[in-house]
Amino acid sequence: MGAEAGLVLAGGRSSRMGTAKAGLEWHGSTLLRRVTLVVGRAVGGPVAVVRAPGQELPDLDPSVIVLDDPAEGLGPLQGLAVGLRSASEWAETAFVCSTDLPFLHVAFVRAVMARFGNQDSADADGPDVVLPVVHGFQQPMAAGYRTDLYPRVERLVAEGRLRPAFLFDEVRVARIQEADLLADPTLAGGDPGLDSVLNVNAPQDYQDARARPAPDIVVERFGVLASGGERGPRRVRAATLAEAARAVGLALDRHVVAAVNGDQIGRDGHLPLVSGDTVSFISADAGG
Amino acid sequence: MTAAAPGGYFGRALVVDVTDGSSRTLPLPEQVLRDFLGGAGLGVWLMNELAPVGGDPLDPAAPLAFVFSPLVGTPLTTSAKFAVVAKSPLTGLLTDALASSHFAIAGKLTGHDAIVLHGRAASPSALLVDGDGPRLVDATPEWGSSAADTEASLRGRLGGGWRVAAIGPAGERLVRYATVSHDGRHAGRGGLGAVLGAKNIKAVAVHAHTKVASADPAGVLAAAKDLRARSFGPATRKYRELGTLANLLAFNAISTLPTRNFQAATFEGAQALAAEDLAEMRSVTKNSCASCSIGCEHIYASRRGGVRVEYENVFALGPLCGVSDPDDVLAASALCDELGLDTISAGGTIAWAMECAERGLLDAPWLRFGDGAALSRALAEIGSRTGLGDLLAEGSRRAAARTGPAAERLALHVKGMELPGYEPRTMHATALGFAVNARGADHNRSGAYEADLSGELDRTDGGHAHVLAAVRTEDRAAVMDSMILCKFLRGVFTDPFEEWASLLSLVTGWDVDGAELAETARRIVMAKRAFNLREGWTPEDDWLPSRLLDTPLELGSGRSASLTAERLRAMIDEYYEVRGLDRHGRPRVGPAPAEPVGAGLKEASA
Repeated sequence: MGAEAGLVLAGGRSSRMGTAKAGLEWHGSTLLRRVTLVVGRAVGGPVAVVRAPGQELPDLDPSVIVLDDPAEGLGPLQGLAVGLRSASEWAETAFVCSTDLPFLHVAFVRAVMARFGNQDSADADGPDVVLPVVHGFQQPMAAGYRTDLYPRVERLVAEGRLRPAFLFDEVRVARIQEADLLADPTLAGGDPGLDSVLNVNAPQDYQDARARPAPDIVVERFGVLASGGERGPRRVRAATLAEAARAVGLALDRHVVAAVNGDQIGRDGHLPLVSGDTVSFISADAGG
Repeated sequence: MTAAAPGGYFGRALVVDVTDGSSRTLPLPEQVLRDFLGGAGLGVWLMNELAPVGGDPLDPAAPLAFVFSPLVGTPLTTSAKFAVVAKSPLTGLLTDALASSHFAIAGKLTGHDAIVLHGRAASPSALLVDGDGPRLVDATPEWGSSAADTEASLRGRLGGGWRVAAIGPAGERLVRYATVSHDGRHAGRGGLGAVLGAKNIKAVAVHAHTKVASADPAGVLAAAKDLRARSFGPATRKYRELGTLANLLAFNAISTLPTRNFQAATFEGAQALAAEDLAEMRSVTKNSCASCSIGCEHIYASRRGGVRVEYENVFALGPLCGVSDPDDVLAASALCDELGLDTISAGGTIAWAMECAERGLLDAPWLRFGDGAALSRALAEIGSRTGLGDLLAEGSRRAAARTGPAAERLALHVKGMELPGYEPRTMHATALGFAVNARGADHNRSGAYEADLSGELDRTDGGHAHVLAAVRTEDRAAVMDSMILCKFLRGVFTDPFEEWASLLSLVTGWDVDGAELAETARRIVMAKRAFNLREGWTPEDDWLPSRLLDTPLELGSGRSASLTAERLRAMIDEYYEVRGLDRHGRPRVGPAPAEPVGAGLKEASA
């Protein structure tokens, strides 16, 4: 069994926003797509979205699993129960978050999940929940959970005890403070203000978030893509791979692929970038 | 051309016993040509027919074949190529290596689809083949010379119309990864130079004396113009502008540049060896093989003169040995050319020795990662089989077996062949291709790296898609290596098998289509497996070195990449299933390993 999953709880009324937050535009993509892909970059296993009954979702990456929550209006524990039950089939732990975290950083997710121990096999004596405490608040919707907690969560929901705090009273919770999180140099460099937990609830929040500059990215072009004096690292602002390509005059056609931080190779223009990322554009015809 | 031969063929092979220069003509039935095409495909058919079962590759009786193809002599771009095929002294299994240029054309126009040598000359000799038939001439004056000098010397003696493929000193001394070279290009992998050396054959010289017709000359000409135009497109731009060395910095950025005997996948000295930098700092001459419009060759100035630079020789003599000084790497590459050494196996074996020396497993305190002078010394000793070189001339597998179990764990090879410059832990389709390929760890007979670098699958999560990619690219390679077309053209074809079938139809007159060529590919792959099976291949040979399976790599992203034995086993099992093999990797309708010559081939290809 893969050790880690990602769960994005997309339900919720978005009443203050006045429109479904999942579908909000974000740098040519949507907020939900970005969050799922950021989490996907951080965890080893699949990412699932839990949606409310009848909820329409924007286009998602084909790798994302969509789970249907049969109940509505019961709050985050209900979605958490649905998500953890499914994820327990393929993962021991899951990073769980809401859909409205435009600045969620890959390193934040990793820093949280690292508290469970080994990436491939969570420590059985370790915490049941890894709960960040940031900006003076516990962050249950940007936290890590053991997937085998789902019976407890289901029971709490059945008992009408719908606040996450009830769960935290019953299980082993490792609270991580800001200083501990920022001890991770990648996170400290990429998200020093821990804006990963900033959510957008109202239209003004969204406008303010949208007005922020895109993440600070290093881009490098290799081989023939670097001809014409385009060699060496270059800093650009880009929230997605497509924006990074455009920033250096490339198109993600069949001859161009990219790797983020030397990891997966792809050409999905929606792939979210976070501050501190290095994008390497290489010829898809490499090799030989 | 015999009346019965299809277009592009003569329908015969010349088989020469170099013991006394006698020869015979081996008819090649049209069905054999259609089933195996030429090059590597026809080569494996010839080995199945002619090679003694279980013979020592360095025994006089072992055959070695120069095999041409139906496209040689046509104006189709990149078609001037030939295959050299034999049982490998490095792996004990089949090896087929390709080289390019005028030897292919002149060799075919001697009137043969293949020239096969066996026996052993009494003294250093060169085999000449032209319209007057085969004959041996004394090559004592050339013995000890580099392949290039031998080529020049023989052409000086015989005349400029002769084209020469020769071995260097390493082949004479039976270094198990010695090359056969022509015009600075090398049939490099598997020790074919040693096979020639064991026959006391310094060179094979050919002179054209006839012509070969295509079935549809006008159609071939039109296709050639079209292919030539397409060969200038973006799919070949890398090869034209920077050559394959363009891979180096890109591979370093994506953690797939094997470094210090595969202890790492990134190299801190990569920038100094990058094509982008070298091209600016050194004079570079670009060149093409005969009949090629791509022009991938980049010849860099070095202290040993001009050096043809490819990704693989720079990888193997640079990062793999921890050497970052471009002067050292280029000099080492030039030395390999002079000695006639396969740079990948030379670098791989020396990298193994460097790690052994650093760990106290070999008594060679002078041999350390990163030491360019030590690299040159090791190469010189290998070429002369002096000092430590006598051990290293055996290749990493044999050298490690003689050194001890701890050293064996450090030998990075598959079937005895050292790995090329692709990190299997971060390229799982490639990993499978290396494991199951008949020639051993090899990027030219598998080509699965295309899938790993395509962005269309997760390169570190090997599974079903990777298996299909490995099969697909292996099939494509089988056809390209047999027709023969240069793989640097692969990107210009949008429907490869159909397009290749069309070219083949124009040349031969056959009504071949893509489906038939796909079947031909599978037949050739199975014929190679059948040859290996009768030569002692076991299921354990389809595997990867333990270092790659038990030591994860840390990626720049912070994630670790690994390839577990379980995952590799699962991919291999599925590969066997897709290939129609039994669970031990043997053809289901195939022979028992000890069955007579040819039987395995006929059944496997049925």
